[in-house]
Amino acid sequence: MADGMISRLDGPVTFVLPVRALAVLALLCAGIGTLVVASLMAGSYPLTAGEVAATVLGRAPSDMGETVVWQFRLPRALAALFAGGLFATSGAVLQIVTRNALADPSLIGVSQGAGLAVVTAIVVAPDLPHVLRPALAFAGALAVAALIQTLAMRRAEGATMRFILTGIGVAAFIAAATSALLTYGQIDQAMAALGWLAGSVHAVGWTDVAILGGACALLAPALAAAARPLRALRLGPELAAGLGVRVGPARIALITLAVALAAAAVAIVGPLGFVGLIAPHLAQRLARADVGLHLSLSAATGAALVAAADLAGRTVADPVQIPAGLVTAVVGIPVFVLLILRPTPEATRL
Amino acid sequence: MTGAALPRHGRAASVAPAAGLALLVLAFLWHISVGAKTIPLPVVARAILAYDPEIFDHLVVIDLRVPRAVSAVLVGAALSVAGALMQGVTRNPLAEPGLLGLLIGASFAVVLVVGVLDLAAPGLIPLVAAAGALAAAAVVWGIALAAPGGPAPLTLVLSGAAVSAFLGALVTIASLLDEETFDQLRVWMTGSLAGPDRAVTLWALPWLLGGLVVALGLARQMTALAMGDEVAAGLGLNVGRLKALALAAVVALTAASVAMAGPLGFVGLVVPHGVRLFAGQDYRLVLPWSAIAGAAYLLVVDVAARLVLAPVEISTGLVTALLGAPIFVWLVKRRL
Repeated sequence: MADGMISRLDGPVTFVLPVRALAVLALLCAGIGTLVVASLMAGSYPLTAGEVAATVLGRAPSDMGETVVWQFRLPRALAALFAGGLFATSGAVLQIVTRNALADPSLIGVSQGAGLAVVTAIVVAPDLPHVLRPALAFAGALAVAALIQTLAMRRAEGATMRFILTGIGVAAFIAAATSALLTYGQIDQAMAALGWLAGSVHAVGWTDVAILGGACALLAPALAAAARPLRALRLGPELAAGLGVRVGPARIALITLAVALAAAAVAIVGPLGFVGLIAPHLAQRLARADVGLHLSLSAATGAALVAAADLAGRTVADPVQIPAGLVTAVVGIPVFVLLILRPTPEATRL
Repeated sequence: MTGAALPRHGRAASVAPAAGLALLVLAFLWHISVGAKTIPLPVVARAILAYDPEIFDHLVVIDLRVPRAVSAVLVGAALSVAGALMQGVTRNPLAEPGLLGLLIGASFAVVLVVGVLDLAAPGLIPLVAAAGALAAAAVVWGIALAAPGGPAPLTLVLSGAAVSAFLGALVTIASLLDEETFDQLRVWMTGSLAGPDRAVTLWALPWLLGGLVVALGLARQMTALAMGDEVAAGLGLNVGRLKALALAAVVALTAASVAMAGPLGFVGLVVPHGVRLFAGQDYRLVLPWSAIAGAAYLLVVDVAARLVLAPVEISTGLVTALLGAPIFVWLVKRRL
């Protein structure tokens, strides 16, 4: 499998353009555009589509509209897109590397590890600059990922379920440690950390968007480079080794990449659950595609999901804002259950 | 197998219960003596045996500390026995009220009724908790049953985790929509023995004692059931009825402990596995020992919850999770 898909119907092997996948990608991008416009319009100070367009183009009809769009809604919408894309690609990479359809950065404790590191920072050293958060989150997430790998991988191969269960146990431990830390901390710092922990984009500003954008720019080339080993690993460790991939080091590098992707997102918007789980599966339902295109499709799906979750969370129960993380959890968990219910061979294949 | 094991256990059984009960009493007194003001053990003993309302320390002991210690004893025993029963019936080393979603189901039902419908009659709470626990158990078991491979330990825990996460998210959403009501429930939701409501405790007591009596009455049959449905049926047991009774006991015990202390995770996992290390696999020993050890365990955990970050007190449920989660991971590694 090089650049296209092998067509199986007519005898000779031919490479065809993945038309369907590209069409789906274009549709997803259009959907994301619509969602962004909708989230710029909706809120306690409603704007029409025309006003939004004028404001974004720099000809704001009113000062109030300009403030609302540029100070609040646009950074929020962009952060949702970036975070969704990061979580989704992290989940997609994890699912391929661990060959486990249930892998998700928040399900296996990686998000919680990042969360514990950031909450520790918020409570113990509240004056720490914002920009350092992704680094801390990365360190915390990496430590937890390494811990789960060593705990779960001692025994024979095919221990994918043990991997998930170990993750659940480690996540429970870290969640309790985080809560204990919150009880110990000052009340105002604890409240700030608590809002962040629910997984919400409501408080982001342009600094946060810049951090997320920077992370995306840094990690995108790494992701592109990861496509080749991922393509091989998708076929199973034996075939991958046969194709000349050094499986052990490649797995470690890819998991580190997945952890970095999730950690960057967690650092800014908190542990938004289940996006990394649903987005790749949804993307695959929409169009089966080669690894590179699958990653792009997952990223677009994840971005659309988080944007939609944020929009729903702040409009459904207005004026109360439901954090996007809770919306994604309520939507994502039934999908998780459906995945458990699938026949076994499907559940581990991707 | 049992023939060779019984005499040894028989000798141990004559001394060990006395030693176990003595340790439990000691833990009970220690739990009472520790606090914002340390009260020496002799004073604690005198307050209980010869209560004098004129002495301030006696008032503190009887009015504040004894109720909390009693709750710890009852809840610890209830959750541990419930966990042991669940492990026997499902033949799943990871079965436990918390991991299989019963605790969060009961809590969710209570939150729904108290927080959203605004009904707070103390007599109603154990009933509502029981309904929630039963519904959650049914959903978790149903998902695991429908999954390929049937209700294996892995699928049971996964579906328990999914149901717990889902209900947890719903509780958080409900608490965001109505912050005032839920402020009172927030501490309870993390599992806390602080300030048990007397009325609720009294209403939960019959559920708890009934559950314990049924559980201990089932002990003989449970040993057979743990060897397999066929073995149990071959020994002339009515397996369906036995499982239904065990489920009823588990639900009653879970409901009572949630009504008294909120969801305390992993107690039902840690204690029975610890007990099996010395009491073997015979449920006639495992169940009573789980009750005693569970009571002592929760007393010690609650002392830790009050001491570790003193003067701040952390929720007891957090400590049970901090201690229990590593044991869960160890069990996953060893037993699966």
